[in-house]
Order: sequence, then C-alpha cells, then structure tokens
Amino acid sequence: MKHESIETNAGLLIVLTLIVISIGGLVEIVPLYFIESTIEKVEVEGKETIHPYSPLELRGRDIYQREGCYTCHSQMIRPFRDEALRYGHYSLAAESKFDHPFQWGSKRTGPDLARVGGKYSNEWHVQHLIAPRSVVKESIMPNYPWLMKSLNYKNVRDRMRALKMVGVPYSENTAEYEANVKRFGEDVAKNLDILRAEENLLAQAASGNYDGKADDVTEMDAIVAYLQLLGTMVDFSKFDDGHFADFR
Amino acid sequence: MVASSAPVEQYNYDIVRKFTIMALVWGVLGMTAGVYIASELTWPFLNFNIPEITFGRLRPVHTTLVIFGFGGSALFATSYYVVQRTCQTRLFSDGMANFTFWGWNLSVGLAAISYMLGYTQAREYAEMVWPIDLLIAVTWVVYLVIYVMTLRKRSQPHIYVANWFFIAFILATALLHIFNNMAVPVHMFSLESYSLHAGVQDAMTQWWYGHNAVGFFLTAAFLGMMYYFIPKQVGRPVYSYRLSIIHFWALIFLYMWVGGHHLHWTALPDWASTLAAGFSILLLMPSWGGMINGIMTLSGAWDKLRTDPIIRFMIVSLSFYGMSTFEGPLMSLKSVNALSHYTDWTVGHVHSGALGWVAMVSFGSFYHLIPRLWGTKMYSEKLIFAHFWLATIGIVLYIAALWVAGIGQGLMLRGFDEYGNLAYTFIESVSFLYEPYAVRAFGGALFLTGILLMFYNTMMTIRKSKKEQAEIDAKVAAKLANA
Amino acid sequence: MFEWLSWFTHMENTKPFVLVLFTVTFVLIILYVFSNRNRSKRLESYKNIPFDDEDENGQSKDIKNEQ
Repeated sequence: MKHESIETNAGLLIVLTLIVISIGGLVEIVPLYFIESTIEKVEVEGKETIHPYSPLELRGRDIYQREGCYTCHSQMIRPFRDEALRYGHYSLAAESKFDHPFQWGSKRTGPDLARVGGKYSNEWHVQHLIAPRSVVKESIMPNYPWLMKSLNYKNVRDRMRALKMVGVPYSENTAEYEANVKRFGEDVAKNLDILRAEENLLAQAASGNYDGKADDVTEMDAIVAYLQLLGTMVDFSKFDDGHFADFR
Repeated sequence: MVASSAPVEQYNYDIVRKFTIMALVWGVLGMTAGVYIASELTWPFLNFNIPEITFGRLRPVHTTLVIFGFGGSALFATSYYVVQRTCQTRLFSDGMANFTFWGWNLSVGLAAISYMLGYTQAREYAEMVWPIDLLIAVTWVVYLVIYVMTLRKRSQPHIYVANWFFIAFILATALLHIFNNMAVPVHMFSLESYSLHAGVQDAMTQWWYGHNAVGFFLTAAFLGMMYYFIPKQVGRPVYSYRLSIIHFWALIFLYMWVGGHHLHWTALPDWASTLAAGFSILLLMPSWGGMINGIMTLSGAWDKLRTDPIIRFMIVSLSFYGMSTFEGPLMSLKSVNALSHYTDWTVGHVHSGALGWVAMVSFGSFYHLIPRLWGTKMYSEKLIFAHFWLATIGIVLYIAALWVAGIGQGLMLRGFDEYGNLAYTFIESVSFLYEPYAVRAFGGALFLTGILLMFYNTMMTIRKSKKEQAEIDAKVAAKLANA
Repeated sequence: MFEWLSWFTHMENTKPFVLVLFTVTFVLIILYVFSNRNRSKRLESYKNIPFDDEDENGQSKDIKNEQ
C-alpha cells in the first residue's frame, strides 16, 4: 500500500488515525480496571475501613468542588520524606476509591489536604474559612463568609442514588443494608442508608456542631465535616511498615 | 464587505470571519480573567468576598475562555479556511457551519457563566456541566461531518498535510471529550452530576484527557495551522513533505500515552506513570521534527524578518514550541517532576506553550488571514510590531517569574535543617512567591495589552474595508448612471 | 481472564517488548518514506498544494481584485 492511498482517501485517513490514537489510552486505562493490585485492600478485623461519605460529608464535598478548592489544594501525598513530615503517610489509591470525581489536584498554591482531618479544631476551620488572614497572616486564600448560609439538602437522596448508579455502595433496601453492615460495620452502614439520608444528615450536624451554631445546618457544617474526615479512614498503626509499598 | 460585489463567494469566508472575530473577543476576555486571577494570587483582597469572582471559580473561566474560546474559535476559523483553500472547494453546508458557530460560542459563554455561579464538574479543563457537554458533543459531530464532506468534494485528488492534523484533532477531541465526561446527573433537571470513574481510574482518564487537550487541541491542530500559514506567508512550500508524514504519525501516536506523567509519585501504579514518562521522552522527536520542518521553511526568508512582523510572530512561536517541547519531557522525568509537580513551574510551562506557541502562531496566522478575509490591508503595521514586542516581552517575564517561583518553592519545601527537620513551613514558601507573582501578573498584563491592540487594529481594518467597499459601489453606481 | 495483562505490568517484560516493537515500526516507516528516489520525488510534489490556487505572478485569487 502506498502512503498516497491514505493521502487521497479521507475514509482511510480517518480509520487509520482513529486506530493510532486509540492505542495509548487503551493500554494505559483499561488495565487499571482489571489488575487487582491497583487498589489496595484495607481491612481491619474483617471490616473495610475506607467507606463512602455520609450525607453531610457528601454535601461538604460538593461545596468543596463548587468553590474550586481543587485549583489550589491537592489531596495526594507523595512518598517523600518532606511530605511525610509535613502531611503524613503517603496517599493510598484505596483512599479515593469512592471519589467521583477524584480530587487529587495538580497544584499546591495552598498545602495538601489529603490528611487534614483531625489536624485542626472545628473552630479553627470555621475561622480560617471565613477570614484566612485572621489565622494565618500571610495566607493568600480568599475569604468564604458565605459558607455560613443554610445548607440545601433537599436532593441529597438523588445525589446518593446517582452515586449508587456509578458504583458507590449506598443502600436502598434491607439486603443492601445488611451487606454494608457486613462490609463496613453497623455504625458506617447506617450512614449509607439512602432512605434515612436527611435524618442522618441532621443528626451528624447536630452532634458534630461543626460551625458552632446550634440552631441551623449551614454549608460550613458540611464542608468542615468533610475536611475533618479527610485522610482519617486508614489507621496506619494497624499495619506493618511497608505493607502498602507492595502495591506500588 | 467584498461579498457584496459577487452574489456567491467561491469560498465560505463568512464563517471564517465570524470565528476570527469571536476568537479575538474570547481572547481578550479570557486573558483579562487570567491577569485578574494572577493578581488575586498576589493581592488576595481582589477576591472582594464576592463568590462569583473568587480564584477557585474564575480560574476555570480563564482556562475555558482561552483554550476553548480563543483557541477553539481560532481553530474553527483557520481549519475552515485551510480546508477550502487546499481542497479548492466551498465548505460543505453553510447552515451546518453556522450551527457550529452558535453551538460552540454558546457552549463557551454558558460554561463561563455557570462556573461563576458554582456549577462545575471539578475536572480540570473539563469543568463544563453535563448539558453543556452534550451541546459540545453535538457541535463537534457536526464539525466532523462538515470537515469530512468538504474533503470528499475536493477538486484536488490529494489531501494536504494541514488537513491531516485538523482531522486528527477533531477525532481525538471527540474521543477524549466523550470518555472523560461520562457522568450520571443528580437529577434530570439538575446541572450537577457525578463522574462514572472514581479515584485512580478517574485520575488516569482525566489526565489522559487533560494532556491530550494539550496534545491535540493545542498542538496537533495548531501544527495544521503552521503547515498552511507559514508556507503561505513566506511564499515557499514546506521544507520537507516526507518529514511531515513521519511527524504526523509519530506525533498522534505518541501523544496519547503521556498523560500519566501528570500523576508521577501518586497512587497511580508505577507501571503506568513509567510508561507515560518513557513516551514523553520519545515525544521530543516528532515535536522537534515538526519544529525543524517549520523553521527550515522560514529559513529562506530571514531577510523578511526585519520587515515582516507576521514572520516574526511565526518564528517566535516555533522557538517557544521547541523550548516547551524540550521542557515538557524534562519535567516528565520522575526526578525532576518530584520537584516541579504541584508548583508554579508547571503553570509556567503551560504558558510557554499556550502563549508562546499557540497564541503567537494564531496571531501570525490571523494577521495573514484578516487582510484576505476583508479584502484590504491591515489598518496599521506599526500596531502589529507593537503587539509583537508586548507579547514577546510579556511571555518572557511570565515564564521567568514562574521558573523562579516554581523551582524556588520546590526547593524550599524539600529543604531540611541541620537536625533533619523541615527548614520551612508551607506558609513561608507562600510569602516567598509574592514578588514572582507580581512579575507574572505584570507579564500577563503586557500580553493582554498586545491582544487589545490587535483587537483594535482588526476592528479598524474592518471599518476601513467597509468604507472602501462603499466607495467602489458608489463609483460603479456613478458609472452606470452616466452610461 | 484478564490476568495475562499483568505480564505487561512487569517492566522487565514490557521494556524490551516495546523497544523492539517501536524500533522496528519506526525504521520501517523511515525506510518507506526516505528510501526510494521516485517515491521521494512524488511525495515531495504535494507540498505545493497551498500555492495551487494562485495565478502565475504569485498573487492569490482572493486579493487580486483589490483596488
């Protein structure tokens, strides 16, 4: 075949181009779904410790995306000494396996947030989000005072159902609920029940009282609940050193 | 307009003119947004506690307006022009061409507004919500149909190399757009959705998309532009057609592998990121092959460099193309990436490609195109020279500032003191960025001033063209009246 | 079913495999494009297409009726 056959035939040019541009993606993406070691198993006493978000945390994550936090904050700690000292244990693939979409980020204008959960108090987060420079003088983060408005959680069931469709194990009937109890334990499974979503959301906001305001469930409640969860689902003291290195 | 003297033009220039104007409009808006968010990073009070203009929401506005608004419209304009001129046939279906015009510009405009209102998919360079994604998909299919049907009715047996690159760009963009935007909406009437993929697979898919938005949208297609407009402006055919064959196949094959280099040292399996790094190194060859082909085409016309500002835009764009396609493989080495990733070095690298290569070659092509589209000379050649210098100095300041920022911050964050503790806190590295960020904003402002001059120059050229046409019409009318 | 794919995930397998595959393809393409003199001449002849829509003095059709 001459190269001219391609140069004079639009159909052939299109078919060959499609083949040539498909190979790279096929080879690099498809195996990630089939090679089991891609995502680590993280189990303690027969229960998976990495679980989907509760309704309140899920709404917090939505707000994190809405404000474009990912444009300045990564959620992916690399296996370097300085990052271990600054942020903690490097991130596992398993830790974002329920993240639709992933929020690893690409730029650290601010610090990494993959293990920010539990590092600061709720009060610190609220103050920092409303007026960052009142806490960290040199910060260049915008103020987010509007997060103190009431949280809209009307469609939280729809959100959980959409996530269920893409593979997140939220439960809608007894069988699914029981499966979650077996997989994650009862405390977590309760929060994954779609039919009790509003109830669970209100209960978590009330007991956590993340924003310091008892009377109202605000966006601040949701985003602080989300931030306080980040990176806390794996207890690394339960695993041998180097256990997770085998997956790299 | 010249169109008035003949009932039907041989070519459909109307659509090219419309896209040309919109490219400049989006360019001005997108670069203004860019300068503004650069200033927000330097002087955070500019966020003014207004949700719609905070950095996190304006940043996708900037990237979408410049990549898809400016870059996309420039590609529609030039590809529609090139395919007609090299096939010597009129564009297939005026109606469908107009549909792509409205579909595309509506998508870009709606996307920008929706980000400011907080509607986003939170995927870099693919932030558009799902209804906009659907509109883009439909527009893109129509674009492909127009392009292929025009190729099929060509009066020239051979399909010129520029069109191969445009075809590859259209096909690859369709593929990337569809697979990266698969998502399930929260509700039929909700703008929000959750992506089909999660975690590590999602990351790989997103950066397969993200890097090929660079590889096909911002490189392959603009190489198509290079293969037509540089030979035309210099008046010499391309240096080697055989090299362009190799350039084409190697480039489109290799680019699709390299996205994983955005995920070095992350939870992506090592084999995938190593593969991506290997292909990134290989990619240097076709990239430089293409650059050499362009530069050797220009090499017979060095004397024109003094008198022809358009050729200056072209040679500078090729130089930046060569520079950033060398820097890219360098940054994809795992050891370099460990320092550069997450810092402003990456941002600087993107801009040396996007401003230095993409925008400069577009400016050159537009300055070649505009006189031909409106049938008159450019309003002012001096303004073109001024634009050239503002743009070039602006880019150099921008890139240099971000090298300092990125490498400096990278070194600070990995610094240890004599006891083995971290030498700097994160916030100390942020304070260090103040001066580089100020210089970057200034460099960006110079570049913006340049495109503002171009916008003014173009509008005055169009006005001049209309006036000249009116004079001709009056003369003809007078002659007819006398006869 | 797809476990055979993991053969490719071992760098000691993949690297030589890919190297041989791509080197051979690349060399074949280079040989095809640059080896034969007639083919070279033919391939190079297409580079003048952008100038085909101009008349003899190098002025393109679209601006020749400029006043």
